[in-house]
Amino acid sequence: MASLLFYILGFIMLTATLLCITRRNPVHAVIYLVVGFFALALMFYLLGAPLVAAWEVIVYAGAIMVLFLFIIMMLGLAPQELPEGPNWHRWGPLVLLSSSLMACTLLLIFQDPAATEIIGTYYLAPQELGEALFGRYALAVEVVSFQLLFASIGAYMLGRSLPKEDDES
Amino acid sequence: MNDLVQNALLNVNIAAILPSLILVCFGMGLLLINVFLPRGTTRHAVWISLIGLAVTGFFVYTGWGNPQYGFNDAVAMDNFAAFFSITFLVCAALTILMSDDYLRREGYPVSEYYPLILFATAGAMWMASGTDMMTIFLGLEVMSISLYVLAGFFRGQVKSNEAGLKYFLLGAFSTGFLLYGMALIYGVSGSTRLTEIGVYLKTHASLLDNPMTLAGLVLLSTGFLFKIAAAPFHMWAPDVYEGAPTPITAFMSAGPKAAAFAAFLRVMEYCFFTLKPEWTAMLWVLAVLTMVVGNVIAIRQTNIKRMLAYSSIAHAGYVLVGMVAANEIGYSGILFYMLAYTFMNIGAFAVLVLAGKKGEDNLTLEGLSGFGFKKPFLGVAMTIFLFSLMGLPPTAGFAGKFYIFAGAIKAGYIWLAVIGVLNSAISLYYYLRVMVYMYFRDPEEDYAWVAMPGAVVVTIIIAIAGVFYLGIMPGEVMELAKQAVF
Repeated sequence: MASLLFYILGFIMLTATLLCITRRNPVHAVIYLVVGFFALALMFYLLGAPLVAAWEVIVYAGAIMVLFLFIIMMLGLAPQELPEGPNWHRWGPLVLLSSSLMACTLLLIFQDPAATEIIGTYYLAPQELGEALFGRYALAVEVVSFQLLFASIGAYMLGRSLPKEDDES
Repeated sequence: MNDLVQNALLNVNIAAILPSLILVCFGMGLLLINVFLPRGTTRHAVWISLIGLAVTGFFVYTGWGNPQYGFNDAVAMDNFAAFFSITFLVCAALTILMSDDYLRREGYPVSEYYPLILFATAGAMWMASGTDMMTIFLGLEVMSISLYVLAGFFRGQVKSNEAGLKYFLLGAFSTGFLLYGMALIYGVSGSTRLTEIGVYLKTHASLLDNPMTLAGLVLLSTGFLFKIAAAPFHMWAPDVYEGAPTPITAFMSAGPKAAAFAAFLRVMEYCFFTLKPEWTAMLWVLAVLTMVVGNVIAIRQTNIKRMLAYSSIAHAGYVLVGMVAANEIGYSGILFYMLAYTFMNIGAFAVLVLAGKKGEDNLTLEGLSGFGFKKPFLGVAMTIFLFSLMGLPPTAGFAGKFYIFAGAIKAGYIWLAVIGVLNSAISLYYYLRVMVYMYFRDPEEDYAWVAMPGAVVVTIIIAIAGVFYLGIMPGEVMELAKQAVF
């Protein structure tokens, strides 16, 4: 069962990301990417890492993709005129992919959690993940926190207004 | 729960990350000070960063011969890391010394520039001291992100923007390779600790033929070779080096390159010693390719910054020869060579900083016509650095090449050493051409050269001293380098 789901999810993920990078309309591309992230989250769940699956949905499919959409809207990259007619070829693939994703999700939800077989060899409980992060990988967590600071300084440097030419005269 | 906290605290060993910690603290302190000072004041930043580098250097120096391991073996401040750290600190200090006047001349007196250099240096130190894939990867990212910003620092100049964006896109792409390689190796061995991976691969010999191990090894090498700018992953280097501000070009071509070599060397030696015949064979081909591509394309360049970019590719090829040799003298030769290269390359770029005119870099060969007579000191300094880059005695370049090729010969790679020496001969042509323009051509137009600010002159004098010290008395430093290798 689980391995069958794995292949279905893999297919959904690959198709969605492939469609994502081939779409001309950036909004469509983002929607396909969201589908890809959801499939990835389910895959993490199947592999025995429920916390990572939740993060995938909350952080990537949720926060980051909303930010993407927001920037696309703000920069006015989305096409202005709406095409005529039902346009099956445009949203048909999306409906197929997301409904099969929905089916997989429902299947996993209504299954008894104790009976769910996982593909991975190890079930990663959230507590263990936390212990690893702040024990074995403590230094890495610290360096990441430094790095966020550097990255924000860099973004500020590149994003702020240019120095005036006539300042020095 | 209490056990967890106690265990975590037991593994904290501040001594293992003390130098980089001090450097980062200085950088953050500097950022804080900048807030309270008016825009455009940068002198204090130069001094504070130099003091920070000196203090860090002192702690690296006192830690010599007393290796510190910490954070569950995620980081090791051993002699190897200490030697490379000194190289990065020298590189950062020389870069900062020559930067201030250049930034003022170009109209970007921005003090955030200095913390970014300190952060890049700290990242490089994490790369050299990392004994865990995660530490090495994050060190690389810290270093690269600072460098992406620094490469695109002159926001009003199209070339600098191009350099920043190109470096960012290709850097992100190559980081993907590196991370993919690390993930595959983690998948094979179940650990990110370098020593654990090495032991696991040794005890499970059947894994060595596993395509996943080999794919991981190749992808990991690709990531590092990109940072080193070895052919065929060198395409970004000339454009980025040309467009970036000249002091940053100097910094990028010495410090981060040494950091990538340090991490590459440690990963190969700790994890993949069981696969040595495979990776030395791979690096043999790449070393030859890198040397030939760098030197042959450099001949055609008329822009000196581009020429030095290709020459830096060629030098990466020479250093790869030391990795192929994979013996004590080859490895310590790499350490020695990176230090020597820091002095000679940064010196050459410091001369280029003073060869410019305001608002416009004067970097073509034609532009240097008669330079040697107009500015005798700079002419002589440039000649010394070029001699060192060629590898002529009594300069540091000669000693470095001598050790590396000696290592190759000792390991039985006679042909590789021969190809290396032939490549050095090719490089004579384009280095000598710069001198021909400096001394045997009359300037076409008479223009006012920029004044010589004291700080840049000090940079050049330190670099000359380094080149001659390492060239005439290489024994002492080489002895330290020998203590530093595994």
